[in-house]
Amino acid sequence: MTKMTGKERMLTALACGQPDRVPVWELAFNEESIIKIARLFTDDVPPVKLVHEMDLDERIKLLDTLYMVARKLELDGLTSIHLFNTQIIDSEHIRDDWGRIYFVGKEGESIPIQGPVSEPADLKNLKIIHPPEQEFMMLMLSRERLGKDVAHVFHISGPFRESWAMLGSIEKLLYFYKKKPGLARDLARIGTDYVLESVNKAADLGADIIAIVSDLAFNQSTMMSPAHYEEFLYPYHVEINALIHKRGMKVIKHSDGNLWPIIDRLVESGFDGIHPIQPQCMNISEVKSKYQGRCCLLGNIDCEHLLPFGSEDEVDAAVKETIAAAAPGGGYIISSSNTIHPGCKGENYLAMVKAARKYGSYPIQISG
Amino acid sequence: MKGIMIMLLEEIKKAVREGEEDKVKELVDQALAQQIQPRDVLEQAMMPAMQEIGEMFSRNEAFISELLCAAEAMNAGINILKPHFTGAIRNKGRIILGTVEGDIHTIGKNLVKICLESAGYEVLDIGENIKAQDFVKAYLKEKPDILGMSALLSSTAIFMEDVIREVRAADKSARIIVGGAPVTQAFADKIGASGYAANAFDSVQLVNNLLTRHN
Repeated sequence: MTKMTGKERMLTALACGQPDRVPVWELAFNEESIIKIARLFTDDVPPVKLVHEMDLDERIKLLDTLYMVARKLELDGLTSIHLFNTQIIDSEHIRDDWGRIYFVGKEGESIPIQGPVSEPADLKNLKIIHPPEQEFMMLMLSRERLGKDVAHVFHISGPFRESWAMLGSIEKLLYFYKKKPGLARDLARIGTDYVLESVNKAADLGADIIAIVSDLAFNQSTMMSPAHYEEFLYPYHVEINALIHKRGMKVIKHSDGNLWPIIDRLVESGFDGIHPIQPQCMNISEVKSKYQGRCCLLGNIDCEHLLPFGSEDEVDAAVKETIAAAAPGGGYIISSSNTIHPGCKGENYLAMVKAARKYGSYPIQISG
Repeated sequence: MKGIMIMLLEEIKKAVREGEEDKVKELVDQALAQQIQPRDVLEQAMMPAMQEIGEMFSRNEAFISELLCAAEAMNAGINILKPHFTGAIRNKGRIILGTVEGDIHTIGKNLVKICLESAGYEVLDIGENIKAQDFVKAYLKEKPDILGMSALLSSTAIFMEDVIREVRAADKSARIIVGGAPVTQAFADKIGASGYAANAFDSVQLVNNLLTRHN
């Protein structure tokens, strides 16, 4: 088979086809993880700092470090994230333009804890925010630095996260699904409009793939019932996915947890890929046998225990096993089961990429 | 009279299960007007309703929305019953719950709180992003029967071991339970926890077992 570019590999797999080899991609790397992995190649790395604490030059230095890692490892796709326009409140809290307040964890994850809406009347005074161009800075820089042969994935919060962030609490939104469905629908509409604007901007700036990233599930099950998914999320997912496809891009749904109660409808809503098939709660062989040819699978390499605490040999064995289960026939992109967070050993991430290349050439030939 | 009592308790049970807060208030008022004992309303209607919704939740037949609304309906009923109790309504034991340092995920902890309160335990929720020394302070101040910790991230679950070590330095017989997405029985055993529950509903059985064994 002719050697493909990273972008061709990613897009082929997302179309459920078989590329020349299993594509390697990650949903995200945290600031500390980028530096940790980069140190395996060079000493010229920026100091560890969270992105909201960095000035523009420091952000660019960090991103250039990530691009160096992407080139060294020949990653097939790279995810660019929204670099939100935020104000620092104190060492642990930031505020965005909507007025949502986030707690920022030590590893850089920002979680909304307070929103501008608590009842329907608040919507009247809500100032609608449109995604400013500067939030797409990483996508612009990634395209410039890595070129067109790498698949550019753009990371957008979905309507679920956009809705609950307005309330500052997942529980409040889930409660309103039952008690104030009108407010829940209004929030989904506001969130979806923001997502649609972001999709259009990302398409204009050259994104190839959109990753819709709000978690819908936890280890045991989905957070919402299938009926609530149907009412408050499915129509919005259909609308978002239709626009993404119209703009010539592919779309991945990321959600941790056990998605079995709603996975049929996620696929029917138009998602081309489902990430990360969390190994603690979903068996990738089972998902593969049900959705082969209908949906690409991404992920499944455990980042809860294996990548942080396992050995390189154990990583190699897990990659081999996962490729044997998920890659035959195509429609599989390898990645961790969430992100490369600071707990993951840099050496183990490298072992994962190395093993993906060792076992991931098509046709897959892995015995016993 | 007995027929009315059975009917009213059944209706309260159904209203709690379905999260109908206003209906629960109305029915509890009616039950008290009919001289039904507050303890019977609590133990024969409201607690079994939460037990049922909790079981449905653990079988994935009910979801977080249903559990939250049922808990709210039960709390509305409890507020009406409270003045009729001389001691604490929730008197099976005292539990402190908190999410470990660096982690502000709330859902798992809050669901455990709902399930334990519904089963008759008094729960003191000390919040999220709690440092080991603050767990110790709360433990020494409140002297709970059990301390529970939650974490969603593998990078924060490791702090559970510090909390166990520091709380046990203050009270070597402290019973400490753990849970959360990255936590497993093997991890709980490794860090010396007294117990682990895979989900919110199982935490009730775990606490029941630990306290029965102790008493």
